[in-house]
Formats: sequence, C-alpha cells, structure tokens
Amino acid sequence: MIEVKNLTKRYGQHLALDNISFSVADGEILGFLGPNGAGKTTTMNIMTGYIASTEGEVLIGGVDIVAEPERAKAQIGYLPETPPVYGDMRVDEYLNFVAAIKKVKSAQRREMIAEIKALTRIEDMSRRLIKNLSKGYKQRVGMAQAMVGYPKLIIMDEPTVGLDPKQIIEMRDVIRKLGKKHTVILSSHIMQEVAAVCDRVMIINRGKILASDTPERLATALSQGNTMLVRIKGEQDKIAAALESYTVIKDVKFIGSREPSTVDVELQGENNVDIREAIFSCMSTNNLPILMLKSLDLSLEEIFLQITGQSQNEGTTGLGQLSEPQTGENAENSDETENSDETEKSQKTDEKSQKAENVENVEKKEETA
Amino acid sequence: MTAIISKELRTYFTQMSGYIFLALTIFITALFYVFINVFQLSPNFHFVLSNVTILFFIIIPTLTMRLFADEVRNKTDQLLYTSPLPIWHIVVGKYIAAAALFMIAMAVTMLFPLISANFGTLPFSQIVGAYIGYILIGLGFISIGLFISVMTENQIIAAVATAGAIFITFLLESLAAGMPADATSSLVFLIVCSLILGGVLYNSTKNIYGGIILAVLGIAVSVAFYLVNPLMYDGLIPGAFRWFSVFTRFDNMTNGVLHLADIVFYITMPIFFIYLTVNVIEKRRWK
Repeated sequence: MIEVKNLTKRYGQHLALDNISFSVADGEILGFLGPNGAGKTTTMNIMTGYIASTEGEVLIGGVDIVAEPERAKAQIGYLPETPPVYGDMRVDEYLNFVAAIKKVKSAQRREMIAEIKALTRIEDMSRRLIKNLSKGYKQRVGMAQAMVGYPKLIIMDEPTVGLDPKQIIEMRDVIRKLGKKHTVILSSHIMQEVAAVCDRVMIINRGKILASDTPERLATALSQGNTMLVRIKGEQDKIAAALESYTVIKDVKFIGSREPSTVDVELQGENNVDIREAIFSCMSTNNLPILMLKSLDLSLEEIFLQITGQSQNEGTTGLGQLSEPQTGENAENSDETENSDETEKSQKTDEKSQKAENVENVEKKEETA
Repeated sequence: MTAIISKELRTYFTQMSGYIFLALTIFITALFYVFINVFQLSPNFHFVLSNVTILFFIIIPTLTMRLFADEVRNKTDQLLYTSPLPIWHIVVGKYIAAAALFMIAMAVTMLFPLISANFGTLPFSQIVGAYIGYILIGLGFISIGLFISVMTENQIIAAVATAGAIFITFLLESLAAGMPADATSSLVFLIVCSLILGGVLYNSTKNIYGGIILAVLGIAVSVAFYLVNPLMYDGLIPGAFRWFSVFTRFDNMTNGVLHLADIVFYITMPIFFIYLTVNVIEKRRWK
C-alpha cells in the first residue's frame, strides 16, 4: 500500500529524518512510536505530501506523492496533530466541505457522512459550531474528516492525545474498526496505546527506525523468558534450603526484603524450562506462602526505554543488538521499576500477553482500572 | 474550486470582515458622492471614483489579510494541502471569492451614478472608463494582498504589509519625478535589474548556471546598447517607474480613454501575483 524509500529530511543543520525506509501492507495497522521530536510527525507530513523530503521517495499505492500529488493524495486521509477544523463551521457543513474538496460525488455525500458520523459518534453534534466543541469532540471531527471519501490509507498523528480515558478507549475502538477496511498508520508516544491497536510497531528515535515488529515479538526479543520474581513469606535460610532440592531452578538470587517478614527472590530455570509449577510445589511443601509471582518479561514501556536509551548512549541501532541477552542491564531495569507501582506494571504485562487473543478483555480491564 | 469559493464567501460573513468591507466601501463612496456630486450639483461621478482610490489602503487588506494567514494559524492548511485539490485551485478559489465580494461592493456603488442620471446627462464614457479602471486596480491589489497573505501566518502583518505595498504604488508617480534621468544611472539601474533577475531565476530553479547566464546576458545587452546609442537611455528610470505606476494609467481611463496597453497591464497584474502565490506554496512544499 505504502512504500517509503530512503527518506531523509534536514531542517538546516538539524537532521530530522535519517534515511528511513519501510513499507506497509494492505489492511495493516502500523504504529509509530517514539519520544517527542523523534521524527514521527515529520514522516507523516512527508507521506501525506504536506512537506517535502530532502531526499527519498514515498509511493502511495504505487503513485509517487511528489510526481503525481493529486492521484496519491486521493488515496490518503490525514488527521494531523491539531485537527484541521474550521471553528466557525457547523460539523455537518465542515464534513460537506471536506467531501467536496476530496471530490466525493454529491449523490454519495449524505449517506457517507451519516455513516462516518455514526462510526465516530458525533451525530449529536451535527448542528453545533466546531469552536464550541470540547477537545475530544474536535478530535473526533478531525478523525471523521480523515475518513471522508473512504481513502485506502488513513494516517493519524497522535489521535488520542488530550482525550480522557473513556474517549481514548472509544477512539481505539474506532481505529480498530477502521483497520478492518483501511490501512492505518498512527503515531503515539504512549506504548500501551500502540500495543492495544497495532499489528506492528515501529520504534523511531532521532530520525531513525530502531525496531519494527509486532508488539508481542518486541517484548519477547528482549525478555529473559524463564526468569521469575517471587515474593515469599519466610526467612531467607529456610527458602534457600527448600530450593536446593529442586534442580530445575538453576539460578537463585536473593534481592532483599520489601515487605516485613518477606523475601524477594529472582529464580531462573534452565533453557526456557517453565519453573512456575516447581516454585509452587517447592514452597507449598515447605509451607512458605508465595505472595507474589511474576515473570520478568519486560513491559513495552521498558523495552521502549531500553531501545531509545541505547540509541542515545551508544548510537547503535537495530534488532540484532536487541536479541542479544543483556542480563545485567535487564535486571537493573526491572529492579528500578519494581520500586514503582507493582500492580500497575503486572497489569501492563498481562495486557500485552492477552492482547492477541482477546482485545475486548483488555478494554474492560482498562475501564475498571 | 467551487467548494473553496463558497467556503471563503461564507467565512467573510461569519467573521465580520465581509460586512466591514462592504460597509466601509459603500459608506465612504456614498460620502464622497454626497460631497462631490450632490452638494456641488455635478454629474462627474468619475471624480468620486478618483477620490475613493484612497479606500484601497483599508479595504484591500480587510479583504485579503486572512485568506492564507488564517489557514496557517488554525493549521487548516494541512487539510487543504493534503487534499487531492491542485494548489492553483485553492489559490484561484480564494482569489475569486475575494474578487466576488469586491464586485458586489462595486455593484452597489453603481446606484449612485444611476441616481444622478435621473437629474440630467452624465459624462458616460468617463464614468464607464473610471469604473473599468477602478475595478481592474482593485482586482490587481487583491492579488497583491493574496500574495502577501501567503507569506505570513499573522493577519496583522499581512494587513500592514498589503497597505504598505499599495502605498508604494501610489508613490511611484512622485518617485519617478525625483529619479535621475541620465544615461549612466540608467545603465546602473539595468545592471542591477539583470542581477536581480538572475538571482530570482537561481532561487526558483536552483540552477546556478542559468542564473549566472541570465544576469551576464542582461548586463551584456544593456552595456552594448549603452555603447551604441546612449541617448536611448535618457529618462529610462522615471519611465520605468511611471510604467509600473498603477494610477498614472488610471488617469487615462477617468478621461474616458482606454488604451489596450493599460488594460493588458491591469490584467497581467493578478495573473502574475496568483502565479507567484502558487509558486511560493509549491516551493515551500517541494524544496
């Protein structure tokens, strides 16, 4: 659907994009992820033909955006960072205007606009002046605008920024629905959001693509797989003695005590062996209650921090680097986040693993959270 | 393009600037009509039109200042420039909307000579000539305002710069009188013009050789003519200023004389500035 080749953008001395290449398949939902100023918006602005690249080319459905802008742009709907709405128009007037400039045949306009309004849930606002709408509704009108004409490709720059949690969930729902008929590219600096809706995540920092994969695989690429963090009520000596008879558990590392009369232990199994059952039976036979048991897989936030942090510290890039085990650093990382809200973190990890099977569950979970 | 035109016309009447424009134009023209025609019992409406050229300072900026500046400030330019509309449709659409509003005001002022016509004979050719001139100048100035609006995202700056540009065209006539008329200064003037032309060519095509060749060619031709016949260059600078002076040509028209050259000059002005506007937008996006 879209092919980006060797895109480079310079603003004077500043290199905003550094030789970026990627392609997006039909019907894919791709998420750009990166800190502020990473080059997400610049990439999107170039892809939609709003600004020019210094070097490189963009093909939309095989059409070059620079050589044949009208044909290429006819296939794109774009929601920029700020929704491009006219405050002094009513929602209906605005959508009709957009339909006109996108050359939607007037016979289809009424029906199409009604459908889009239903999808973005702005029917009640049809007669309201856009300047009187709340930020969330303006954003939805902006999204409706991008959908007018049902372009094959919909590009959205931080579609959920500034929305309240309920609106964010609704917005994700809309994006998922869009993904069934259209190719969607969206950007965000929030990990969770991208993980919740995207088929593929592309991590961008300082104008470079650092990683590009499914959210799940990004997580496993960096995780240690079979390492568990366990909080056990009891004394350290007793626990060490109990663990001795279990040979499946290869590595035992006592971290210390975070709760009164408990001990935190990091346990590692041999070669991807699942050690959870072993831990359970070991502790139950020795009457040592397990208060917490969690995988040391990295959450997407940690992966993100690690990848972007790496590029800043070492200037190295690429997934090759990521797949190498970095036990020491990982342990440190997880140790730090341990101090913060544990329940939140474990929930995030849950979310990620459940996401593939059951998206709806995640939503409910978030709603209750 | 009709979508852009109707949207712009709507905006004029939802943001007050359309009402302000119409009110100012009609009220001040009426005022001059009362003082010059009614009180003096004169049928010469073309004198009224000559006097209200002063209005261009105020009315043209109110008409054009927001055209592009406002889009950029609201970030709605992203919608327009990423839509499948060609850029020139957007520019021409906006120009036509502003021009249409100007024509509406003109149509209303035509009531005044019609009122006078009830009380005697009017100098028909002078009035028609003055109207043609006045409208053409207005349409030209609107294109200048449009061009300036695309250069800034601040409406106030756009308005002040447009008023300034119109003011300079007023001054050209008086400036011409003060310019040196001898052949040597004319040569210097032509050399500077050649350099500027070369620079413009380089700037718009990024072709350094093209720019240099054009500049050198211009200088060579100017010097050659200077060496062959320096008399040709006498009075060239004032002549050029007068040639560009919008109002010198207008005087011909209020006398009821229509020169083809004048009409062509007035029609070229909007075409030139619309072309420049389209180019500025395109260039910003493709360089």
